[in-house]
Amino acid sequence: MYNFNFEPVLAGFDKLLVGAALTIQLSVGAMLIGLIVSIFCAWGKTSGPLPLRWLVNAYIEIIRNTPFLVQIFFIFFGLPSLGLRLTPNSAALLALVVNFGAYGTEIIRAGIESIQKGQVEAGTALGLSKLQIFRYIVMKPALRTVYPSLTSQFIYLMLNTSVVSVISADDLAAAGNDLQSATFASFEVYVVITAMYLVMSVAFSTLFAAIQKVAFKYPLSR
Amino acid sequence: MEISRRMLTAAIGAGLLAGAIASTAAAQTVESIKSAGTLKVGMLVDFPPFGIMNTSNEPDGYDADVAKLLAEELGVKLQIVPVTGPNRIPYLQSNQVDVLVASLGITEERAKNVDFSAPYAGISVGVFGGKDIQVSKPEDLSGKTIGVARASTQDTGVTKIAPADAKIQRFDDDASAIQALLSGQVQLIGVSNVVAAQIETAAPGKYEQKIQLSQQVQGIAVRKGSSELLTAVNAFVDKVKASGDLNKIHEKWLGSPLPAFVTDAKK
Repeated sequence: MYNFNFEPVLAGFDKLLVGAALTIQLSVGAMLIGLIVSIFCAWGKTSGPLPLRWLVNAYIEIIRNTPFLVQIFFIFFGLPSLGLRLTPNSAALLALVVNFGAYGTEIIRAGIESIQKGQVEAGTALGLSKLQIFRYIVMKPALRTVYPSLTSQFIYLMLNTSVVSVISADDLAAAGNDLQSATFASFEVYVVITAMYLVMSVAFSTLFAAIQKVAFKYPLSR
Repeated sequence: MEISRRMLTAAIGAGLLAGAIASTAAAQTVESIKSAGTLKVGMLVDFPPFGIMNTSNEPDGYDADVAKLLAEELGVKLQIVPVTGPNRIPYLQSNQVDVLVASLGITEERAKNVDFSAPYAGISVGVFGGKDIQVSKPEDLSGKTIGVARASTQDTGVTKIAPADAKIQRFDDDASAIQALLSGQVQLIGVSNVVAAQIETAAPGKYEQKIQLSQQVQGIAVRKGSSELLTAVNAFVDKVKASGDLNKIHEKWLGSPLPAFVTDAKK
């Protein structure tokens, strides 16, 4: 029987908490910025000018058909040769935003396309401006429809942050690897960080469910 | 379960070792090697670039080239016996090989069990960086970014000497750390001279060693008390150092001249 010894893990627990804090920061930052990117690109893909549609399509195809690991290497190791040098943590954030943006765009586009054309025409008949139509008639019901798949993509994004340790960003996985290599209590360390990721995922899911109740409740509120 | 397996391994190891010591026959002599017509050399084959298996599945590398020269010097055929890190000294002690050219670092502890020749190779760990950065002592690392492979010897070494405001970035392996240096994401990296050869290949003449963190010289090992053989091996090492043959081997496998700490080292 394997003898668990959690003492070295508890001794380094503060480092794991620091790592978890960065994981949460990266996740929340990438979710918010990525959501804005997604909404913009979804608009561009469904009703933007033709060149913008091509651009968005190219972006989506490139990101969804290449591994995240390669994307993050490209941003961290490749961009400096084009003159853009980012710290590991900002490179990680950029990679997560770019990656989430592509998936988010497709999810939101699906939502937009679920809106009946007549609904938009009704808005025009009522004399609403284009922005008002997009915001109240298209985006809000569209987001309500795709909210569940959007949140699962958010959770996936949060778990994906564990990859950023390869470019020496100090997230939870990196803190775990450091602790593991210093204490050799690898199994214990991984048990603990697995539990921490689980707690964070469940916490985010609960938060998303709460947001759904407030933001998308019937009857429609402004 | 884990403990009992470990104890079993230890018991077997101790048994082997006892057997090895018991069977340590007479000290090895040059004469007995010459009369056998073969020099049996223990060599690591999993320690590039010192010991590797080449594409035709033959032992090759720095150690193999040195072993070839040694056999030539003695005028006998060479038989390379692949050994592993933990079993190389038992192989020598139990007469299964005549000498070890197995990247065996010269340590006091090992010198109790084998006799070492003068160093024929060395591994050093240092901080490397661009020629335009002024760094020559640990205090100069202040405010600099230094890439290392997580939990490696160089990680430990750099962490120990670097001032608090130096930013140490830990990557998963040496390759990523080198990539970070080449792309300018870190200003300096901590690597061994073995790996530093790769930097020289990727960007010739741009980077140099700034600070030496640690060094380890390696010697050819013979059985304890084989003083006559040891004298012959030492003469061989001195000869290939003087003739430049060893330097050529170092250039071939590590892409740099034999470091001074190996050349100058006396036993």
